Amino acid sequence: MSEALVASQAAGTDVSVPAASGARQFWRRLRAQRAALVAAAVVALLVLVALAAPLLTAIEGQDPFTYHPSLIDSARGGVPTGSFGGITGDHWLGVEPQTGRDLFARLVYGARVSLGVALGATVVQVLIGVVVGVAAALGSRWVDQLLSRLTEIIVAMPLMIMSLALLAIVPSSFPRPLLVALVIGLIAWGNTAKIVRAQTLTLKQLDYVSAARLSGWGTWRIARRELLPGLAAPVITYAALLVPMNITVEAALSFLGVGVKPPTPSWGQMLTAADVWYQAAPQYLLLPAGALFVTVLSLTVLGDGIRTALDPRAASRLRIGTGRKGEAKADASTKGASGKDAGTKGDVRTEGATTKSTNSKEATS
Amino acid sequence: MRQPSVIARRVAVASVSLAVAAGAAACGPKDNDAKGSGGDSTPHKGGTLTVLNSNPQEDFDPARLYTSGGGNVPSLVFRTLTTRNRENGAAGAKVVPDLATDTGRPNKDATVWTYTLKKGLKYEDGTAITSADIKYGIERSFAPELSGGAPYLRDWLVGAADYQGPYKDKKGLSAIETPDSRTIVFHLNKPEGEFPYLATQTQFTPVPQGKDTGTKYEQHPISSGPYKVVSNQNDGETLVLERNKYWSTATDSERKAYPDKIDVKSGLDSSVINQRLSSSQGADATAVTTDTNLGPAELAKVTGDKELAARVGTGHFGYTNYIAFNPTVAPFNNVKVRQAISYAVDRSSVVNAAGGSSLAEAATTFLPNQKSFGYDPYDLFPAGASGNAAKAKELLKEAGYPKGITVTLTHSNDKDFETSPEIATAIQDALKKAGITVKLQGLEINDYKDKIHSVKTEPGFFLAHWGADWPSGGPFLAPIFDGRQIVKDGANFNTGLLNDKSVNAEIDAINKLTNLDEAAKRWGALDKKIGEQALTVPLFHPVYKRLVGKDIKNVVISDWTGVLDISQVAVK
Repeated sequence: MSEALVASQAAGTDVSVPAASGARQFWRRLRAQRAALVAAAVVALLVLVALAAPLLTAIEGQDPFTYHPSLIDSARGGVPTGSFGGITGDHWLGVEPQTGRDLFARLVYGARVSLGVALGATVVQVLIGVVVGVAAALGSRWVDQLLSRLTEIIVAMPLMIMSLALLAIVPSSFPRPLLVALVIGLIAWGNTAKIVRAQTLTLKQLDYVSAARLSGWGTWRIARRELLPGLAAPVITYAALLVPMNITVEAALSFLGVGVKPPTPSWGQMLTAADVWYQAAPQYLLLPAGALFVTVLSLTVLGDGIRTALDPRAASRLRIGTGRKGEAKADASTKGASGKDAGTKGDVRTEGATTKSTNSKEATS
Repeated sequence: MRQPSVIARRVAVASVSLAVAAGAAACGPKDNDAKGSGGDSTPHKGGTLTVLNSNPQEDFDPARLYTSGGGNVPSLVFRTLTTRNRENGAAGAKVVPDLATDTGRPNKDATVWTYTLKKGLKYEDGTAITSADIKYGIERSFAPELSGGAPYLRDWLVGAADYQGPYKDKKGLSAIETPDSRTIVFHLNKPEGEFPYLATQTQFTPVPQGKDTGTKYEQHPISSGPYKVVSNQNDGETLVLERNKYWSTATDSERKAYPDKIDVKSGLDSSVINQRLSSSQGADATAVTTDTNLGPAELAKVTGDKELAARVGTGHFGYTNYIAFNPTVAPFNNVKVRQAISYAVDRSSVVNAAGGSSLAEAATTFLPNQKSFGYDPYDLFPAGASGNAAKAKELLKEAGYPKGITVTLTHSNDKDFETSPEIATAIQDALKKAGITVKLQGLEINDYKDKIHSVKTEPGFFLAHWGADWPSGGPFLAPIFDGRQIVKDGANFNTGLLNDKSVNAEIDAINKLTNLDEAAKRWGALDKKIGEQALTVPLFHPVYKRLVGKDIKNVVISDWTGVLDISQVAVK
């Protein structure tokens, strides 16, 4: 991502940083987007399913590891007996070919790995990105040079190839899901750092930061009290888009056999085992593929919705027509409810960054 | 003593012999061969046979090929002193004369072997094949630049250990004598009753010294068989073979050579090969494969289709997949722990993981379940179909582990259904029932091979497999259990580190036998005796299922290779 683009995104964002009623306004804007709401519901459901995996499989009466040789036709390569991949009251989504392991159990336990690894990796990426980005923006010229070049090297590194290499050399005694999350997190934090640095540079120029500096605040205190709140919006937005990306990376790594190790189920691993079965047992391939598709799609839509809610101007530039009416209504109702801003949307724009950013500080501190 | 580098290649035997040496399996031995071809099932001469393969025939020099029984495609071009019997099933595991008039005449203790060549043998250019050419062919296989073949010749021939081949050492090997142009005599440094099996390998192919072009010879090797190489492109990726008009059925009763032309196309994905064979469009109707099996998912699809199912051939190759123990690593130094695991193993779930009962047969013996190996169907630690957890727990208690144990199973991350994670997790699941917690250690395939074949890094508990260089107990048991073959520095195959004087003595005694049936019985008995030490847990013997094109006739699958013999196939 070019710095100019990052800067413009950041500049666009800070205009919209929520006011005193920011959080409420954010929710209203988010709620106005039906797609984002549906996506949020789906994501919530997926998280719930992942968290409740042991409970759900207990209700089904299965677990993801037990072999059921009686449910597969050994003479025919181990294809599940019965129709639709062996779907019965005991096995809600059928069983896995060659082993007879319960597919529902493997799918919901796989959700834990997919979501857990992706979230873990995102946390690592955001932490490193924010620290490096803020340090680069606030540090001396040398520190900035050093950290910015480092960030560029990290951005230039091919994620898949680096992960393959790293995962291949770490001993298998290291907990695998944690390792995968760490590896993805440690390799793919570059863009977060760039966005944070650009946003920090913009914020640094603002009057309230200068005021803080003049009143003798140290760099650390300024970073914590004045800058971090202003960074929240772009970071949350970017993090929301990182999660689905990390899910696909985890799936790809497991698909290639270096991700999570068997017998721990993961969607990527199920895909790799299932790819040859697409004709003989299609549901075996369709289940993890569908789960992955729904998860990534809903997370992406949700991420997009969060961005729109935090930055309605950027959204209105991107999407002309659809959805705008809803957003406008949401904005209007916010104004009505808060009663503070009597101005039009145009006014919001012209008011500029100062007020908003200051407000954001107040809102968070 | 075997040289490490030479031994390392032995690993390749197991897998390579399926691909290179063996051929494609098609219609099973017990099935009617000619189904799918409509009315007339008698094979006729003529036509073009297409071979669709995944692995290119990178080596086509008889010195460099590592084959079981002379290989499949190579055997169309190279004749050897003896060869495998080209018949279905167990009869195909016999060794028969090829260039020679018989399978060899040994002296009393089987250290000197004499062969006489048939009359009227000719190369593709019409010149006569002489015994000196066979001697030269063997000698050049000792040249470092033409290495790749099996290690036996270097081990067995007198004074061959340090021989560097005819390019450096003009004198040649004194262990091979050619008193006249039709007689060749081999002097061995120890009794080897199985020498006739060795004489099937391509190193026993005649090579005329005047035509030898060294490493370039594989571009156009001089044919002694029914076909000659017309073109060899991209290092064996596409090969075209046409008739050698000087070859005659009068001197070769083994190869049928029905098609006029053989077209080998390789470098194809295995799923593409199976898809093309099943649809049988155009030239693919007369196509076979010599290296691609049906996988479990493909089998599931094929068995649901009557027309396709009739075109699947079934074969058995002497091969065993097993669990290996390193008895110097605790707790596997305790025989009771090894026995407990032997009892706890669930062979039906392992067989399923390997592709199901059509692609694998449960194994309780280390030797393959074929008569030629001296198969003795013993089951020393009867686990039943799905494991005997109670007996395993009892043994663990006796071993001092009343609360069970935690062990690490090392396997490869290859997707081969042999040492792969699927097999490892099946074992993990079965042992859990016996109170044995198995942790899995998956290694990248090369790392895995290096680790298990080095005495210093060998894990205590791992998945392994072994294939036969020829269908007999000798090449199956000796490398794995002969104490004198333990290699301290370098590639070691005696992973159980067994050095039992009585076992070593029995191996020597059997090697003296020239009656191969009698030897087979003794190998079977020795296998059972070694089995009592529970150094391995035999898991399964693979079964090969392969498709052939819809117009393919006369499919023959021997127990020697387990796959369709390309020299017997007809397309008309």
